[in-house]
Parts: sequence; structure tokens; C-alpha cells
Amino acid sequence: MNEFLQFTLGGVSFGMVYAAIALSLVLIWRGTRILNYAQGAMAVLTTYIALTVINHTGSYWAGFVAALAAGLVLGALIERTVIRPVENRPPLNAVVVTIGLLVLIEGVVGIIYGGQYRSFPAAFSVTGLHAGSVPLGISRNDVFVAAAVLVVALALAAMFRFTSAGLRLRAAAFNAYAARLLGVRVGRVLTLGWALAGLIGALAGLLVSPDTFLYPSSMDSIFVLGFTAAVIGGLDSPVGAIVGGLILGVALNYVAGYLGSNLVLIFGLIALVAVLMIRPSGLFSVSHGRQV
Amino acid sequence: MASQAAALAVEHVEAGYGGVIALQDVSITARPGTITAVLGANGAGKTTLLATISGLVRARKGRVALDGTDLTRRPPEEIVRAGVAHVPEGQAVITELTVEENLRVGGLWRHGQAGRAAALADAYRRFPVLAAAKNRSAATLSGGERQILVIARALMASPKVLLLDEPSLGLAPRIVAQVMNLIQRLRDESGLTVVLVEQNARSALAIADTGVVLNVGRVVAAEDAAVLAADEALRQHYLGF
Repeated sequence: MNEFLQFTLGGVSFGMVYAAIALSLVLIWRGTRILNYAQGAMAVLTTYIALTVINHTGSYWAGFVAALAAGLVLGALIERTVIRPVENRPPLNAVVVTIGLLVLIEGVVGIIYGGQYRSFPAAFSVTGLHAGSVPLGISRNDVFVAAAVLVVALALAAMFRFTSAGLRLRAAAFNAYAARLLGVRVGRVLTLGWALAGLIGALAGLLVSPDTFLYPSSMDSIFVLGFTAAVIGGLDSPVGAIVGGLILGVALNYVAGYLGSNLVLIFGLIALVAVLMIRPSGLFSVSHGRQV
Repeated sequence: MASQAAALAVEHVEAGYGGVIALQDVSITARPGTITAVLGANGAGKTTLLATISGLVRARKGRVALDGTDLTRRPPEEIVRAGVAHVPEGQAVITELTVEENLRVGGLWRHGQAGRAAALADAYRRFPVLAAAKNRSAATLSGGERQILVIARALMASPKVLLLDEPSLGLAPRIVAQVMNLIQRLRDESGLTVVLVEQNARSALAIADTGVVLNVGRVVAAEDAAVLAADEALRQHYLGF
């Protein structure tokens, strides 16, 4: 029973990282119907930037903020330069471009920083917490990971719901045609969506790298699992992304705990294939209402 | 009569899709505070004409101007900011948003916080049916309510010219009469300039000041609405009533 509790709580922390990646994919998918295969590579780059800033300033939080800002800028920059030309083109064009970006970014990161594994600091203590004498299977840092993603997700939800920028984002995502005719500058809105996705991806990189170490392809498997979480959630639904991430994180932590941690990625892929076969629209896809 | 400035002028416009020419040498003028009905059979180019005015389709030749300001080849989001609101046919309601959110999108770019609230209050005063449904998903509205919503949403930007594409499409006759009545009121009470594209020529001519008949991308008649409605040959040939 103790074991079960530990695996569950530990899974929540992992799950929130997958949720963050899933959320960034959903943001981009909703706005541009593009799946950003480079999301993980972008997070690797911003996490290296964080590491550089941390090494120079000695402050984890300076690096943290630098990575988020870099993610924001990188997302906007990529949308404006290489994505804009393939928007509203056949989907394969965007697939090729984002996979190309993935290879390019990981290659450039390798050239600049080298390919060796680097340890990345955690924000808080990673020693396990106890309730009385019972180990909980999570650390202070795991709590921070879950809380950070939750805070960002809630801030994003509030922005979508209560601000003009959020209304523009939703209008452009749901019906770009109508939005343009109402004066919404859809191009700028899409840039904003990519920027926010870049920021959330950067957050995921910061949160997961203490566990995975940092190297040019360190986010690849995290990206696959984040993508799986997004598919479970329906790719269209931010809430689905969070729930999908949590389900996957907890389920995979049971796999790791009871069967062995080297099976995690395999079971993640099995989950992806299973969802695509059984319910390709995901568990939380948005209904489109009456069409007439 | 003194020369009256045209609110909206379309001059010798040519437009099309790929190799197909949908409009050829089309000129229309919509005088301020009038309703101009654009009539013709399916495929005559009516919808393309509105899309060319609002920037959805690029004009290959010719010019579109609002009160003398050139709008040709500007993107749609800038043309609506210049004062020309386009209510397209069908699919214009953002069904994933609530009624109120739909309205708010229409006024987003124009007003400050206070101005937006005032425009919203004004829309609810003018259209009580929307006020009653404001927190509902727009997907739950009936066809007539949706038509009112998209018109009210376009008015949130206080346009000078309103382009309406087939507002009667798919509506019951009683509702069509209500929508036509609304368009008439917008002209009479707010001095709005309206360009009304309609298949339902009889209803449109009943409220319009001027009528323009398109056939296969060309203007074949442009007259006072009353004159057009009385022209038996034209009616039978192009308008089918």
C-alpha cells in the first residue's frame, strides 16, 4: 500500500511535466493545426541557456527566468520565420519543417555545448519527504514541479477566459475566417500562441532536466510522452492535456515501479498506439456543436 | 442634386480564383445611408464581390474605396478597421464561444474598456434576444438568432458600411421578414450604408434603395430598386420572380 502511494505521488510529478509538453503542443495545434515536433528540442536549447546563466550568475532563479524568456522569444521567432510560410499548406510541409527544426536545433546545441551528459540543478531539495515515518516517494522538488505546471496552466486558463488576448486566441483558433473579418490580426495571434507554447515547453525542460540529465537529445523521450498525453487529451483541449499528462505519468510510474523503469518508454508508445487505435479523437476532444 | 459622395465605391474590379474569372469590370456605388441590393443567380459573382470588397479575395484589377480612401488589396482585418464590416454567409458564428464572447470579438479592436462595455450594452438593448442568451454557447442558437448575432457582432465595431451575404438563407419566411425589417431599421435609425447580397430578390428589393444585377460576373443592370422590381423582362430573365 505504501508502495502504491509512493508510485502514485511520484507519477503525478512526472505527469505534470508531460502535461506541460502536451499543453504547449495543444496551444500550437489549436491555432495552426501543426504538430510541433521541435517542441522538445526547443526546450533543450532553453534549458542549456538556463544552465549557462546559472553557471555565470550562480542563481538558479536567474537561469529559470532566462529560460522562460528564451522560450517565449524562440517560439515567436520560429513561427514568424519558418512556420508562417507553411501555415495553410498541406500538413506534410509543416511536418517536414518541424522535424527539420528538431534536427537542426539538436545539432546546433551539440556544436555549442557538446554532447556529454550534464547535470542540471533542481530548484528545491530532492530528498524524499516523509509523513511521520512513511516515505511518500516524492521530494520537495517534485511538489514544486507539480505546482509550477499547475500555476502556469491556471494562469493560461485565466488568460484565455478573462483577457482580450485570450479571446483573440480562442476566436482565431476556432474560426480564423470569422476572426479576421472581425478585425482580429490572426497572424499576430498565432505568433503569441507559439510564444506561449515556447514558454511552457521551456518550463518542462527546466523541471525534467534534474531527473534526465541534459544533453542534445535529452527531451526526445519526454516529447514522445508529452505528445502521447496530448493525444490522450484530444490535442484540442488544454484540460485534456493536463489530465492526459497525469494519467500517463501515474500509469507509467506504476510500470516503472512494479515492472522496471526501462519499460517506461515502451509502455508510453503502447499507450499512444492504443489511444490512436481505439479513440483517435482523444478522451477530451471539444465538440463542435451544431453545424447548421 | 449636388454630387453626393459614395460611401463605398467599387470601380472596374476584376477578381477570380485560379484560372476562373468570377468578376469582370464590375462597378457599383453604395451611397451613404442607403441599402444596395446585389442580385443574381447562383454563380453570378455576388459572394465574390463582397469577398473582394472585404479583402478575402484579391482584386486583380480595379479599385475599392471607402469615402475616397483606397482599400484595394488591403487584408480583411485592416479593411474592417477602416469601417467596412462583412457578414459572410453561413459558418460565421464562432460556435465554440458564448453569445457574449462572439459579440465581444466584434468590438475587441475598436474600443477601450469602457467603450467595449457600452457597445455591448447597446447591442443587448437593440437585440433583447441576445441579452437573454448571452451566457449560452452560440452553438445552441436557432438559425434566425444566429443571423441576428452575426449582424449585431459586426455592429460592435460601429462600421460605416455593412456587407451582408444572404442573410435570409435557410430561414423561415417569418424570420426572413424580421431580418429584412432589422436591416431597414439599421439604415433608417443609424444611417448605416448596407450592401445586401440576396437570392431572395423580392424581399431584398422591397427594402433596398438601389439594385444591382450580376450575371456571370458582370453588371447587367443598376437601377433604383423600384424600377428594377417593376421591370418584368429583367425579373423573369435574371431574378426568377
